[in-house]
Amino acid sequence: MNNMSPEVALHRISPELRPLLCSVVRNGRVGLDSTNCLRVTDLKTGCTSLTPGPCCDRFKLHIPYAGETLKWDIIFNARYPELPPDFIFGEDAEFLPEPSELPHLVHWDAGNPECLLQLVKELIQQYHHYQCLRLRESSRLLFEYDSLLEDPNYGRNMEIYAGRKNSWTGEFSARFLLKLPVDFSNIPIYLLKDTALDPGEDVALLSVSFEDAEATQVFPKLYLSPSIEHALGGSSALHIPAFPSGGCLIDYVPQVCQLLTNKVQYVIQGYHKRREYIAAFLSHFGTGVVEYDAEGFTKLTLLLMWKDFCFLVHVDLPLYFPRDQPTLTFQSVYHFTNSGQLYSQVQKSYPYSPRWDGNEMAKRANSYLRSCQSGLLRCLFILSG
Amino acid sequence: MAASISGYTFSSVCYHSANSNADHEGFLLGDVRQEETVSISDTQISSAELLQVVEIHHHDPCAQLFSFYDYAGKVSEESLNSILKDRRKNVIGWYRFRRNTQQQMSFREQIIHKQLTQLLGVPDLVFLLFSFISTANSSTHALEYVLFRPNRSRYNQRITLSIPNLGNTSQQEYKVSSVPNTSLNYAKVIKEHGAEFFDKDGVMKDIRTIFQVYSALQDKLQAVCGEVEQSERVKEKIQEEVNKLKQQIALRKRKTAEEERRLREAQNADSHSTPEENTEPCEGSPLSGITFPTPSAPERPSTSPNPPSYTDLMSQDDSLLPSSSPPTSAALLPRPQAVGSPGHPTPGPTVMGLGLGHGLGLGLSASSNPVTTPSTPYLGNGDGSSSDSLDRQAAGQEDDDDEEEDDEDEDSSEYENLVSEGAHLPMVSASVLAQGRPAALSPDGDAHGSQAT
Repeated sequence: MNNMSPEVALHRISPELRPLLCSVVRNGRVGLDSTNCLRVTDLKTGCTSLTPGPCCDRFKLHIPYAGETLKWDIIFNARYPELPPDFIFGEDAEFLPEPSELPHLVHWDAGNPECLLQLVKELIQQYHHYQCLRLRESSRLLFEYDSLLEDPNYGRNMEIYAGRKNSWTGEFSARFLLKLPVDFSNIPIYLLKDTALDPGEDVALLSVSFEDAEATQVFPKLYLSPSIEHALGGSSALHIPAFPSGGCLIDYVPQVCQLLTNKVQYVIQGYHKRREYIAAFLSHFGTGVVEYDAEGFTKLTLLLMWKDFCFLVHVDLPLYFPRDQPTLTFQSVYHFTNSGQLYSQVQKSYPYSPRWDGNEMAKRANSYLRSCQSGLLRCLFILSG
Repeated sequence: MAASISGYTFSSVCYHSANSNADHEGFLLGDVRQEETVSISDTQISSAELLQVVEIHHHDPCAQLFSFYDYAGKVSEESLNSILKDRRKNVIGWYRFRRNTQQQMSFREQIIHKQLTQLLGVPDLVFLLFSFISTANSSTHALEYVLFRPNRSRYNQRITLSIPNLGNTSQQEYKVSSVPNTSLNYAKVIKEHGAEFFDKDGVMKDIRTIFQVYSALQDKLQAVCGEVEQSERVKEKIQEEVNKLKQQIALRKRKTAEEERRLREAQNADSHSTPEENTEPCEGSPLSGITFPTPSAPERPSTSPNPPSYTDLMSQDDSLLPSSSPPTSAALLPRPQAVGSPGHPTPGPTVMGLGLGHGLGLGLSASSNPVTTPSTPYLGNGDGSSSDSLDRQAAGQEDDDDEEEDDEDEDSSEYENLVSEGAHLPMVSASVLAQGRPAALSPDGDAHGSQAT
């Protein structure tokens, strides 16, 4: 059973080891990519097959790291739950951390449910050191690393994965995963609440893959936590510039950072602009307002009357308002189309300028609506007749 | 590098492991030896291959986990000594058993291995990893084992572990393992009962006995070889004598025939003239017979186209007599004497009883005495009758019996003369006669003067 839900894993594991695993699967966030939590698969037992269950005491732990997933085997003994576990580091057969650097191993306390999680974190740290040492095989990449390390913005939140050297071609590849120091705290909450997952920490990660030691093939990629991604308009909305040939990370990363920051700022500003717009409309149309989006300020519905003819006007504000023009939708309250919908007509072109403030926009919209009312309504009348 | 483990040790480790309800570990005791294979090819370039062979004789299971190391994986030398005691020098590796895990050395195992290598002082310490893999429904359980030598480079770590006789021994030969049998009970029994099979030098008694039999056979064979050689030599001599005798007989026959012819001619001639002068060549007189003044050449068994005169022959005979003594132990040829005088020469060995072949067919003696007896000198009586019979038989055995009898009949009357006359001739071989020695001696008398008297 590969994709095991945490609950199933907890159910199958030996009762004495359950607390340790609980903290790992429920609260386990290791590394920069905290959206992917630790996963447990391949639960097996070290007891004889006649031992009644649940008695599993060994499993595979999937740990996200630097864009890769480390698959480490953790081996306990159900008969001796007080003993510390053993590890097999998957394909990283040469990774051998110094036990003295693992205080939670040396002073293993089976009674502490967090012990295993802490030990795993310490191991990840050691793994990081190990990978950084491997960077020494390429001076170019080592330079990249050192330069980033010096910058306090990036140096502390960096994961390096020095990939497997291709023994045939002698290629050496590495991946840098950097957490971008972008402030997402001012993003309106409404933008974040639609995500199905528990958003957790909002984070933007930049992954830069060096496919060769000379940094001629560099592939950057931006990873955003789902809520941020949604808030910024989806993955397609955000394009980062390509890595300049001959450039280096210490120049490129701030560039991307700035871009992201600008985007976030824009989104924040847009929010405020929309709020302003809606407020202005509210004040102009007063009682004519049917409803409006009070959280995101993206929609507004007005009920207007002209010569005893009532109609609705829906105002849809796009995400990148005021850059993008709001959409006006006229809807009849009396007439249905053949498909059973209320008859409506969308109007996108009307006098508009993004430089107007909210009040100005409301005034202009008002005058526009009055001006087109007659013509429009006549249309409506005839068509509905 | 190769490794082998005896079947019983392997099964013992498996037994201990399978019965443990958790991971299990222990030490491997054994031997490491170097095998050098030198291969010689036609190109005269010999290549030597060095192979290190690790032999696992025993295992020493640990009672519990973490018995000689702590949580950090640090090995305690004291605990190690208390576990191993005096077996420490025999340690060549250690093993670990864990169920349902990968065949790869774990983090702690690698740390422990490094320390053990240093503490035990074994540079090529091996690590045997057992793992039991069970299917989900417990229908199939596989025991997997891998032998590592982690102190080598990463890509050269696994060694093949061979278990002799694990397989179908009905089709393959049952291999005797070089793993020594260190069982005390076995050693005791062998020591007790070994004296029945082994002597004090450690060689099997049967082997010695067989070797003794072999030696005896060899000795006997050598002795027989000697005997065969001697009898062959005797046979050779007899064969020579037989040949000579045959020649003599043939010569005598020719002479007899010749004499008869001359006699007839003489008789014919006498009828026309006085017979006195012609009686000289009478064969009956031994004196005249000695000189044999016959105009015709005497019969002789030679093929020479120019036969010498008889006088020459006689002189030759006389001169040759001493030198042509037979190789046998026969006596010297007696001097020509008058008829009736004793001391007829012996024609040759009379009694030859060879138990070997029947080629000679000497009817004289039928004894199977393998030893050749020297013949007694031929001592016949005056008339030589007894010797005559012997001579006849000795010389003419190969001929037909009828012929022999005829010869006897024919020659009986003249045989005496022949004997005395032929006394000078018998030892003269045909080859000598054929040579035709020049007549250095004067005819008549001078040469025979001494003898004639």
